[in-house]
Amino acid sequence: MLRKRVITVLTFNDGVLFRTKLFRPDYRYTLNFVDSWSVDEVVVLDITRPGEGDGPNFEEVIRSFASRCFVPLSAGGGIRTLDDVRRFMALGADKVVVNSGALERPGLIGEIAEAYGVQCVVLSIDAKRHDDGSYEVFGNCGSRPTGRSPEDWAREGESLGAGEILITAIDRDGWLQGYDIELCRNVSDAVSVPVLALGGCGSWKHMSEVISDAGVSAACTQNIYHFTEASIRAAKKYLGSKGLPVRMS
Amino acid sequence: MSIGIIDYGLGNLTSVEGAVRRVGFDCVVTSDPSVLAKADKLILPGVGAFGDGMRNLIERGLVEPLTDFVLNKAVPILGICLGFQLIARESEEFGHHEGLGWVDATVQRLQPDDPELRVPHVGWNDLIQCTASPLYEDVPDDALFYYVHSYRLSVGDDGLVVGEADYGGRFPAVIRKDNIHAVQFHPEKSQKHGLKMLENFLVQA
Repeated sequence: MLRKRVITVLTFNDGVLFRTKLFRPDYRYTLNFVDSWSVDEVVVLDITRPGEGDGPNFEEVIRSFASRCFVPLSAGGGIRTLDDVRRFMALGADKVVVNSGALERPGLIGEIAEAYGVQCVVLSIDAKRHDDGSYEVFGNCGSRPTGRSPEDWAREGESLGAGEILITAIDRDGWLQGYDIELCRNVSDAVSVPVLALGGCGSWKHMSEVISDAGVSAACTQNIYHFTEASIRAAKKYLGSKGLPVRMS
Repeated sequence: MSIGIIDYGLGNLTSVEGAVRRVGFDCVVTSDPSVLAKADKLILPGVGAFGDGMRNLIERGLVEPLTDFVLNKAVPILGICLGFQLIARESEEFGHHEGLGWVDATVQRLQPDDPELRVPHVGWNDLIQCTASPLYEDVPDDALFYYVHSYRLSVGDDGLVVGEADYGGRFPAVIRKDNIHAVQFHPEKSQKHGLKMLENFLVQA
């Protein structure tokens, strides 16, 4: 049976691990340890502003993860062309994560799928909840409204060739109050490719909720206190006790 | 012993190279047939689309030399994921494409019999070890492996299928034909059991 995944998402500013809260920087943490033996998958995202930082610094991040952690690695941040994809793949990424680049030019999704297969394309969607309860997709690290609904964009992304959808609730980012179940459920119901949920995880219970109630394939977490070996194991033990299939060994 | 990792511009070579080195072997990553000719064992990795994979092999002049090494000189080879599928006769991924044809098999889209099961098949799943293989030495029956694919192999001769996966129906996960070994999942991405399997290929196969 296919297991539900626990995925660690790490954001980097100019090659330095960078945690966010409500999409704003929180520099309290540094990368010292990622448990490469219990986490099911790692996603690294470059959030360096265009024109700032030194490209090779993030490239070194991809290279070092690829050579020392023997789980799947997805890389994203600023991907606009097939050349960007080629560079990340050559450094050792297994998949690429596209977001603003795909909003600006949806054809990018199909170009990557045709060159590398659909399973290589993770479409990342950042969504905000409005006061009336509706959701809207935001681009450029949550700063630019697009007028798109997350379900429609996920569906369009799937038809263009996205192999997985990473849905992030901007309002939940870094708050540790739980995933946005409604948003994740809506997106999960809209597509037939795997959906990965991000934003708001603060406890093992949140993970089991988003897997059970929103039907996603993976619970993603960015919070550093989830990264130690004992805590990832504890999370999976908890998920297993709730009857969810996870990888323990 | 020298290990040749075949570079055809698509596979995730860094992680395969890293995994081979991690289990204690030196390797060379190249698309140069004259260098690959000196390898004792070959690895054909792969992430990508079938059509592009074959086109890249053809453009680099690799099809004939590789076929000679594998079929005539019996050099042990391990195909991984797309490398597993490329050894088939043909594929229907994004149109019709001819494969390397080392094994009587075709590549078709995964069609799980349960509509709840999503495609691509992504994540950690079981490997059903059907028949003994040197790759399985010290790999427990309940070991999980990382799969990521939308297409599956259909093999003409069932005897070649030494391992299967189940995702709304069984399909080949490990095949073996003489010196040809191939796996649908990614051993280089499957932590300790994957590394063990890679080591088994390098030591025993």
